[in-house]
Amino acid sequence: MTLLAPIPLATVALVAAVCGGLVVVAYILKMRRRRFEVPFSMLWQKILRERETTSLWRHLRRLLSLLLMLVMVGLLLFAATAPRLGDPDQAASSLVLIIDASASMMTRDSGDDGESSRLSAAKKKAHEILGGLGGDDAAMIIKMDGQTTPLSRFEADAAGLHQAIDGIEATATPADLRRALITAGDALRGRAHPRIILIGDGAYPERVLEDVTFEPASSAAARTSAPEKTAPVPAAGAGAGAGAGNLAAIDLSGIDVRFFPVGGATANAGIVAFSARRYIANKMAFEVLVEVENFGKKPVKRKLVLSSGEGEASTTVDVKLLELAAGQRVRQIYKDLPSGTDTRLRATLEVPDGDPADSFPLDDTAFALVPARRRQHVLLVTDDNLYLEAAMLVYDNIQVDKLTGDDYDAAVGKGELPTYDAIVFDGITPAKLPPHTNLIYFDPQGENSPLSIRKTLTAPRITHIASHPVMRWLTLSDVNFDKASVFRIDPDAGEVALARSLEAPIIAAKQTAGGRKIVAFGFSLGGTDLMLRVAFPLVLVNSLDWFAGQGSDMMATYETGQTARIPVDGEVHADGAIITEPGGETFQVPVTVGRAGFYARTVGIHELSVTEHGTPVATLELAANLANPEESAIAPRAELVMGGRTLAAPGGTIVSHRQSLWRYLVCVAVLFLCIEWVTYNRRITL
Amino acid sequence: MIFAKKQSPPSGARETGEPKQLFDEAFLKKLEYLHIVARKAFSGRLRAERKTRKVGSGIELADHRRYIAGDDFRYIDWNVYGRIDKLMLRLFEEEEDLHIYLLLDASRSMLIGEPRKLDYAMQVGAALAYIGLANLDRVAICPFSDRLHPALAPARGKNRIFKVFDFLRAVEPGGHTRMAPCTTKLVHQQKRRGLAVVLSDFYDPAGFEEALNTLRYNKFEPFVVQIFDEKEASPALHGDLVLVDCETGNAKEVTVSRALLEKYRAEHERYCDTLASFCTARAIPYFRTHTAVPFDELLLRIFREGGFLR
Repeated sequence: MTLLAPIPLATVALVAAVCGGLVVVAYILKMRRRRFEVPFSMLWQKILRERETTSLWRHLRRLLSLLLMLVMVGLLLFAATAPRLGDPDQAASSLVLIIDASASMMTRDSGDDGESSRLSAAKKKAHEILGGLGGDDAAMIIKMDGQTTPLSRFEADAAGLHQAIDGIEATATPADLRRALITAGDALRGRAHPRIILIGDGAYPERVLEDVTFEPASSAAARTSAPEKTAPVPAAGAGAGAGAGNLAAIDLSGIDVRFFPVGGATANAGIVAFSARRYIANKMAFEVLVEVENFGKKPVKRKLVLSSGEGEASTTVDVKLLELAAGQRVRQIYKDLPSGTDTRLRATLEVPDGDPADSFPLDDTAFALVPARRRQHVLLVTDDNLYLEAAMLVYDNIQVDKLTGDDYDAAVGKGELPTYDAIVFDGITPAKLPPHTNLIYFDPQGENSPLSIRKTLTAPRITHIASHPVMRWLTLSDVNFDKASVFRIDPDAGEVALARSLEAPIIAAKQTAGGRKIVAFGFSLGGTDLMLRVAFPLVLVNSLDWFAGQGSDMMATYETGQTARIPVDGEVHADGAIITEPGGETFQVPVTVGRAGFYARTVGIHELSVTEHGTPVATLELAANLANPEESAIAPRAELVMGGRTLAAPGGTIVSHRQSLWRYLVCVAVLFLCIEWVTYNRRITL
Repeated sequence: MIFAKKQSPPSGARETGEPKQLFDEAFLKKLEYLHIVARKAFSGRLRAERKTRKVGSGIELADHRRYIAGDDFRYIDWNVYGRIDKLMLRLFEEEEDLHIYLLLDASRSMLIGEPRKLDYAMQVGAALAYIGLANLDRVAICPFSDRLHPALAPARGKNRIFKVFDFLRAVEPGGHTRMAPCTTKLVHQQKRRGLAVVLSDFYDPAGFEEALNTLRYNKFEPFVVQIFDEKEASPALHGDLVLVDCETGNAKEVTVSRALLEKYRAEHERYCDTLASFCTARAIPYFRTHTAVPFDELLLRIFREGGFLR
């Protein structure tokens, strides 16, 4: 008999002593009995007198009960030492089973009918490997997709490992082989006969395969006498550092690494890029980029369908039949597409009738978002400033009205001012403002200034420009001013400095709690040459775009399996966010420094709901696509070269017949417990 | 000694509870009903109240005997003389008012049960008292426990029933059950013999025999009504308990099993049978009842089987 002793024997002995003591104390302690009043104790006296004669037997029975409990505790603790029949196996190994659950493993080309997914085949092979483990072998399961997830610790309990394998589901993310190998290597460090078996289709980056080293760090360092020729790659985690000249090296020295390939299909055509952007000058139109690649070795035909909207409201924008040669990548650009009410775009690759079905449909659909946009109604309050009016005319996306300062006051006073999206005050600082309207001030003065004025600078120069949507693409360092007001910035009131002259903010922005956005320029348009520069209309366009909630003309689509930091515009007090996946599943993500972490596991439109103290305050949509040529190249590798070594297929194992005893011991302990319970309740051992 | 440990007797809320609701209007109606039933069942015998065993100057013919010198001529039955030509003297049952002593057990053991045995005994006692008063008997009530409590002096007439109620309400229960000293004291206190109705659970550690014999030997006619609670005859107990004697406070740790419970039931039954056998052997009317039986039902049974009304 062998004791695997996962818990040190000294600990088991200590626990045994404590438990034994507790059991004995529990038997010594008298039970608190319920009091019951009887009218005539003589009747009880008679029958109890008969029982007194058997008191010795009763004491013995109580002793039997105590012994049963002690035996039960002993059995449980003995089971904790994991006893096994037979001698210890000197050749027992530790195995890490890495199962590829990346996007390409969704390819349906396996099984007897060729319709099962590669992941099913991988799981089947994993079950076979576990079935061949020796009695003392311990295995650990790692799921590898965009993240590396250990699903178990090193266990000899095959049932638990099989269950862990059955629970693996593929995600639409690329395989992060580097992290999986590093995790496996770290887990195996110091264990006897370490082994890694990788089950997958081999769709892994070459760079990661080359970074693997099977030589110990010392010998690698000794052989690397010359200065490093490889540029250091940021280390991906522990395990790096084996190769003295390559910080990204994955040290698998002393570990027997095997690879079992799955999959058979090679033909696939997929969308590798899909994005949309607005034109800078005409925000009412946008253009779309789609890239399609044939990863197979034969030419294929695909119908590229571009549509907007979702479900029944979907509208087909364009359909193109593409003929793709082997390995050919085709780029399609759709220009001057008008903005509609639908903000969602979908590109779909369809197989023409008669052609074989696509075995990897995940990359046949891609999504993009076009922000909703409408024409803004802007009021210009000025006493005839030709430069300002001309700058406003540059922007096609707005409709401009003009009032003098007096007319404005009269209209506001009578309540006859129409609703505007934005009002530009040129040298006027009115006391009355319409509610919620966004505002641009040039040279605000007095107590009605949206930001309090600290002082006035003479001939300032802009030395610093903040990273803000209003100041996008702007350089104002050579702009001249005769004088400018310096604002006092209160960050708690949502005020930010946009441009400073040394430390003095002369252009600032403010977002009030009610949602009103304000841009204030601390100088008069008559006292600067800004109006003569290209930057002038640009800063106005930027301001109006910021008002409209558009920080960018190009809505980025995100890659699955990559973590992105999404800016949460304006929600400075947001403390959390909830991601809703296309399938409806939700999970929380943190928000730090105004950015929410976003990791897409599935292809489609995700909803990001920003919360403040658990209450949603803003919502935005994010499009996530696979867009990963390495995953779309589904042709499996028959063999994998890793660290210059071709990985062999997993060999057979010597199955020992030694049997674990802990289950039987627990069963016997439970049996004893039942016997004790029954005899106690039947007043036999009482 | 099994019940070695002495614990203070359970104190009590039970002792302070006054049986005010025992004698309400519904109770009175039941009494009246019982009285009517009693009159109907024993018509012809009630008008002359109780008859003694004496033969004397009553109005109801009891027997004839031969005339002997010195007998009162007035009682010679001339009709018989005419038929058989012999002088026969008419004998009449002499009538007198009967004394009924209701001995009410007010010991602590009578406080057990739901309803309390004492309450039940009071109701039965009050009903018997009413019947007795209505029959112009002299009814006295003598509560007892380990001593004879102050008694309600013998009285007659229906209108005395409210005094009976008031007296019963004022009974202070408590103490051990010691019947023998109490009956001894009773026979010494009461000169007039009569019917001694004992309402008790008869849970006397010293035994009931001496008490009943004392009554018998002193020309009283014992009439036994044993009252118990169903739960004390067949308690629904299980597990580890401390059994406390409500009178002595003696405690005993017991693990009650089904077998033990069966033994107890048998022992209780045996005890009751002993009392019944004792009474039967001595021609003492004996009634056993538990508190779940309505008191009027018990009264009707008593009327049917006789012994109280003659």
